[in-house]
Amino acid sequence: MSRKVVEVAGRRLSLSNLEKDLYPSYGFTKAHILEYYRRIAKFILPHLKDRALTLKRYPEGVEKDFFFEKRCPSYRPVWLKTADVHRHSEERMTVCLVNDLETLMWVGNLASVELHVPLAGVGSPETPDSMVFDLDPGDQANILHCARVALILRDLLLELRVASYVKTSGKKGLHVYVPLNRKETTFEDTKKFSKTVATIMQKNYPDLVTAKMAKEYRKARVFINWSQNDSSKTMICVYSLRARERPVVSFPLGWKELEGLAGQGNPEKLLVIQSEAVRRAEKQGDLFREVLVKKQKLPHL
Amino acid sequence: MSGGTIWKGYIRFGDTNLPVKLHPAIREERIQFHLLHKHDRVKLRQQMICAYEKKPVPAEAQAKGFEVEEGKYIIVDPEELEQTAPESSRVIEVHEFVKTGQIDPLFLDRAYYLEPDSQSKEYNALAVALKEMEAEGICTWTMRKRSYLGALQSSGKILRLNTLRYADEVVPVKSLELEKISLTEKELKIGSDLINQWTGPFRAEKFENEHEKKLRNLIDKKARGEKVAVLRPRRLKPTAPDKLLQALEASLKKVA
Amino acid sequence: MKNYSESNRRHEMAVQGIWSGTISFSLVAIPVQLVKAVEPGRVSFRLLHSKDYSPLQRRMFCPEEDKMVPPDEIIRGYEIGPGKYILITDEELESVSPERSRTIEIVEFIDLKEVDSIYYDHPYYLVPSKGGEKAYRLLVEAMRRTNKAGLAKFVLGEREYLVAVKSTEGALALITLHYRDEILPDEGISPKEEGIEDEDKSRMQRNIKKMMADFNPGKYADGRRKKIVALLKKKVKEKAPVQAPEIEEEEGEGPADLIAALEESMRKVKKSR
Repeated sequence: MSRKVVEVAGRRLSLSNLEKDLYPSYGFTKAHILEYYRRIAKFILPHLKDRALTLKRYPEGVEKDFFFEKRCPSYRPVWLKTADVHRHSEERMTVCLVNDLETLMWVGNLASVELHVPLAGVGSPETPDSMVFDLDPGDQANILHCARVALILRDLLLELRVASYVKTSGKKGLHVYVPLNRKETTFEDTKKFSKTVATIMQKNYPDLVTAKMAKEYRKARVFINWSQNDSSKTMICVYSLRARERPVVSFPLGWKELEGLAGQGNPEKLLVIQSEAVRRAEKQGDLFREVLVKKQKLPHL
Repeated sequence: MSGGTIWKGYIRFGDTNLPVKLHPAIREERIQFHLLHKHDRVKLRQQMICAYEKKPVPAEAQAKGFEVEEGKYIIVDPEELEQTAPESSRVIEVHEFVKTGQIDPLFLDRAYYLEPDSQSKEYNALAVALKEMEAEGICTWTMRKRSYLGALQSSGKILRLNTLRYADEVVPVKSLELEKISLTEKELKIGSDLINQWTGPFRAEKFENEHEKKLRNLIDKKARGEKVAVLRPRRLKPTAPDKLLQALEASLKKVA
Repeated sequence: MKNYSESNRRHEMAVQGIWSGTISFSLVAIPVQLVKAVEPGRVSFRLLHSKDYSPLQRRMFCPEEDKMVPPDEIIRGYEIGPGKYILITDEELESVSPERSRTIEIVEFIDLKEVDSIYYDHPYYLVPSKGGEKAYRLLVEAMRRTNKAGLAKFVLGEREYLVAVKSTEGALALITLHYRDEILPDEGISPKEEGIEDEDKSRMQRNIKKMMADFNPGKYADGRRKKIVALLKKKVKEKAPVQAPEIEEEEGEGPADLIAALEESMRKVKKSR
């Protein structure tokens, strides 16, 4: 195994197998992955900060087996920030906190291509900082159907005086986030709210939307997965790479931009590849910043 | 008196085949607390709750699964697991002997006494031989369907078996990634002198679990309905790196 | 220690490692954290409900009310009579030995050779916190040179431990020791017959000598673990994994106010499209 020792922010990191092709169909190596995360660091780090990271590791590349790792590996460097979390009354678990560049690089070195985080920080695991609508197209639907649903959802929420933000999942769907950032709102609240919204959407757009999990309901519809609003669930972090043939990123979009793309009718245009992600983020800044800071209250609960 | 016999087997190496009985050597008694329901003080029980049905699940409806992907499991039947259990055997096989003191205490797990299970002449001979040679045997055996690694030790009179942790269970120091910091010879010299001056014999009986007594006092007080003062834990101010030498010198003066 | 009350749980989560505090010897104080030195290497299974393969969670259950009890309704109690308890809070527990709950004070140094291995209980490592690196290194090096270990007592959770702090490969290892009264007497173990045959002894010594080696724990692996991993690999190939049901909340309407507001908003949205 080849190793290379580098220094990041004064910490020594031993990186292994940098030349390993982790996206073999695209020719994207571990070195490329680390380079992407290094360049996107200032945008992704605020969204990872103080959240229990779930590693999704692809040691043999994105076309081979992967595994989830919620526990922070015991061979972690001693400077790495961790937190102890209890899931319900289950046993205690030590998790990684990706709060700085050196940790991001260490995590990348583990071939953790995808970075998943919960909607709540480790300091207040039962209090979500945002509510999410995970829009997942059925077999016969695509991301353009999701875009339609997302735009209706945005308008509906605006009627309730609640702002929302959208990002691509980096796979086939879209994620609509509603920033909360108030410690009074619990997962119970966000679950109740999002479920009611999903049910009303289904009632009004029965051919386009389903709020039911079962595959037979999905088909040509978009499933509004409200059950992600749970302390035990994680979402792909904005700006994280996805493990597909190509290094596509979960990327934030402006609503106007989504309107435009939805009108063009080309699902491919809703995929943001890593190089484009860096370029666009540098140019437009973090479109998802408000998700971290905007304080909003859910009405009528 | 020692605890009762928990297992019987044979120590085997070379042409030695020595029947022994295993007794626990440690008994831990700890203050036992219960978890109660705050409002009515009913003692709570732990139960396994189905995440989907939110109901307790009895043992016979529980299965073991290995998570291969989020929410996806490979079910392993008890019979299959049974097959991975090591073959039962009564032999404590000694593979080699090492010098006493070579085993880092990090590897030591739990101690058991060995009692001779028939004639004791060979037992006595082994106890004396190990003591004189300052050696202990590295051995493996199977007990209650688990494979154990252990050290066969002698106090001169009595043989003991100390279970050892497997190498991959002990976290390597390397993974702590400690910084290398250079020290001056002077700092090291004073530090070593201080330690040497402060060295005494190990007397286990000197140390009592005072805390447990205090804890019992606290419980008694509360039982009598007395008020208990809540004290804050003491925190020491760390020695600044540039004051280290000074602190060492002052410490040495204090001892001398 | 398990902490069940919510406020404490949050407090604990901000802290790294198992414990953080100071280790001191004489006038030197080093900020440190206690971390695990033992990581069970076994393959870990999850308990599932055999009916629907959904994972099981360990919960505290009230037999009286026949329901699960959330952490903030749980308190620690000491039983003083049948069904009679004295309640003890975390703060009260910490104030039992306040001088030892955040400080590991080395009271003397000893030669570890004098410690019978029967005393060793559970090992941890200490790692230096910010600013303590140099003094930490000094303690490691000085104990290595002198071949000595420090003795201390400190409180972790509900218990006070007697510990030996030693230098191990450049790190400080902290090993909890049993108290003298936890070691069972070996009376009744010693052989009834006293005698020993010289011939037996020299035969054994010859054998032992032949079998002398250096201790290398890496040579011995848990055979069972290997078998379980092999079994899992085989099963993954042969059969698709089962899937746990997604947790769906019971059907039911949301709050009436919210539904009304949503219906109203929905009408507006539809009109404008």
